[in-house]
Amino acid sequence: MPQLLRNVEQNWQIIDEADTHWLAEDDWRAGEPLQVGVDSEPDRKWLDASAIAVDFPALTDGRGLSLAALLRTRLYYTGDLVARGNVHEDIVHFLARSGFNVIELPEGKDLNTALKWVSPHTEYYQASVANPKPLFAAKN
Amino acid sequence: MYQYSEFDRSFVNQRVAHYRDQTQRYLDGKLSDDEFLQLRLRNGLYIQRLAPMLRVAVPYGTLSSKQLRALAAISRDYDRGYGHLSTRQNMQFNWPALEDVPDILQALADVDMHAIQTSGSCIRNVTTDQFAGAAADETIDPRPFCELLRQWSTSHPEFEWLPRKFKIAVTGAAQDRAAIGVHDIGMRIYGDDEHPEDALIDIYAGGGLGRTPVLGALIREKLPAKDLLTYTEALMRVYNRYGRRDNKYKARIKILVRAMTPEGFKAQVDAEWEHIKDSPSTVPAAELHRLRDFFRPPAFAQQTDVSTLLADLRLTHRDFDRWIQHNVTPHRADGYAVVTLSTKSIGVPPGDVSSEQIDAVANWADQYSYSEIRISHEQNFVLPHVAKANLFELWQQATAVGLGSFNMGLLSDMICCPGGDYCSLANAKSLPVAEAIQRRFADYDFQFDLGDIDLNISGCMNACGHHHVGHIGILGVDKKGQEFYQISLGGHAGHSGEAPKLGQIVGPSVARAEVCDVIEKILHVYIAQRFDGESFLGCFNRIGIDPFKESIYASAA
Ligand code: HEM
Ligand code: SF4
Repeated sequence: MPQLLRNVEQNWQIIDEADTHWLAEDDWRAGEPLQVGVDSEPDRKWLDASAIAVDFPALTDGRGLSLAALLRTRLYYTGDLVARGNVHEDIVHFLARSGFNVIELPEGKDLNTALKWVSPHTEYYQASVANPKPLFAAKN
Repeated sequence: MYQYSEFDRSFVNQRVAHYRDQTQRYLDGKLSDDEFLQLRLRNGLYIQRLAPMLRVAVPYGTLSSKQLRALAAISRDYDRGYGHLSTRQNMQFNWPALEDVPDILQALADVDMHAIQTSGSCIRNVTTDQFAGAAADETIDPRPFCELLRQWSTSHPEFEWLPRKFKIAVTGAAQDRAAIGVHDIGMRIYGDDEHPEDALIDIYAGGGLGRTPVLGALIREKLPAKDLLTYTEALMRVYNRYGRRDNKYKARIKILVRAMTPEGFKAQVDAEWEHIKDSPSTVPAAELHRLRDFFRPPAFAQQTDVSTLLADLRLTHRDFDRWIQHNVTPHRADGYAVVTLSTKSIGVPPGDVSSEQIDAVANWADQYSYSEIRISHEQNFVLPHVAKANLFELWQQATAVGLGSFNMGLLSDMICCPGGDYCSLANAKSLPVAEAIQRRFADYDFQFDLGDIDLNISGCMNACGHHHVGHIGILGVDKKGQEFYQISLGGHAGHSGEAPKLGQIVGPSVARAEVCDVIEKILHVYIAQRFDGESFLGCFNRIGIDPFKESIYASAA
């Protein structure tokens, strides 16, 4: 059973879900769950996936954050977007704000710690996928 | 000065809370060294050769006296009674204990400061002209734009995990004191303070020093101020997605820009920008005005004319006269001046300041400079708004605590990295070289005669001491396990209103014991060949490198 955090109506929760059998792009067909690498170019075909996972090679690799933002804001993908691979408890807030709605932690990582730090700040300065209005929009 | 809102305050407090938890988890063995490394770097904590180093952000180099006092207290309570001014206008502490860092960060948060994103592969503290808002040659104060960028880049959801560190520098003056050409992004703003929304910004990308020194390419001319964030977002996205991550030495944006060519890079950024150009991150005029208002100059008092008094004092006090000549810069407001307090005196590593000195500067800021202080790229303190009537008093006090050196811009006002004494990456020591040069050329009359010379020293090709853009650059290299030094000439960081230029290597590197002799030969070639009033750089540009080469290597040939 994977270790998952899921955003359910703006509430992040720890959930039990059955394993997903992710398919790489070459083996994937419409209607199935698709897993892509952080260096992929977003493709309209992906909109037909039942879910999309982005595989993080390292905690320090921020390409998946840009990819998620593009999927949400450029392709208007609205389905499940799952961060998996080398995902760390202390970066979940970046994932959450960049458009991921499901975060899968690798073995050995602690879901409760991740949940605790999924939003370390009440608000942020800049716009994000999660909140497209920057702070100054509220001020001026 | 920018004043924290409740939002800013709660943000930095929440950040401290998160980092405190991370530190605790690390101490409990729940975070590995590698994991914690990434988290602590982004909170300013770097582990060097001898001890941890904490780099505190001084956004665009501006501080209040209250903040400076808090830094003095930190240097006393958690360090060994001193701090270090960095070339990126920050303050560094060299001996904090890892367990104490959350408390230090809380002490910073209590005075509206932080160490967020001062290390690690993320967008670093934005730097600018240390004379911003005071310089006579400035048309628009860059600090409101720097603050806008600071806020935008803090915990950015997409750009905290870049291929490599990312440095932005901004200037609004004719003379570029921020060295925008050697930054990942450099911005030159044109416009005036009354109408910041009408400002236009030239954007340079891909500059940097390090082992592959490159000057930034102009990739966007006259960007409207309202588009600053959306354009930067587009640029960062291209870098975040396509910058190399396989080789840390090829990961800076300069390598990407070179690989794609500046035109190719620009085209890619423009294409990305098309999509987000008018997004809600477009900056409203009201926001630019709101930020601008924080940086309004103080209400300067009408000053009586003290020129006769000053002239008399300069006649009777030779060192005061020299200090005025070198360390006092014209101010926009009548009756005021900008004062540079030099940290460069013999035997003290450039940029090092004691707790007592830091406190003294805070007190002078209250007394003489509307409680405001700047840190300069050349690792000095600046009091930006001093009434001319107070200059003599200030000079006397500064001299009494070792901050009254009258060497701004002169040979002994050098930039120097910590080098082999502190840094594990060093090929050679740099501080002893700096000191030896200061001692050899201690005669101020000689230095005055030489005029403005930037001498920059780095202990390895990472170029923390900016040796490439020194008029004279010294680089530590390793030759079969021996410390050697490579000398370059003719570089400059764009200080004279021209495009910056990288120095030319003069020839084979030399042993430590020979460095001072080589510098002396270089200076003598200049003295022999210069025209009346010709600067070192001007002379070098006219006569080229050969006469220097001949003089240095003549006996060896
Ligand atoms: C002793 C600890 C230090 C270490 C290990 C260190 C390491 C490095 C490295 C590896 C780089 C090159 C980064 C790259 O090209 O991607 C670099 C650049 C730089 N460092 Fe340091 N540094 C140290 C201290 C300092 C200090 C004390 C200062 C300020 C006085 C400083 C200022 C700079 C600057 C301005 C650059 C940028 C040069 C550029 O544009 O590429 N460093 N440092
Ligand atoms: S230039 Fe090299 S030796 Fe000097 S501080 Fe930087 S990394 Fe260390």
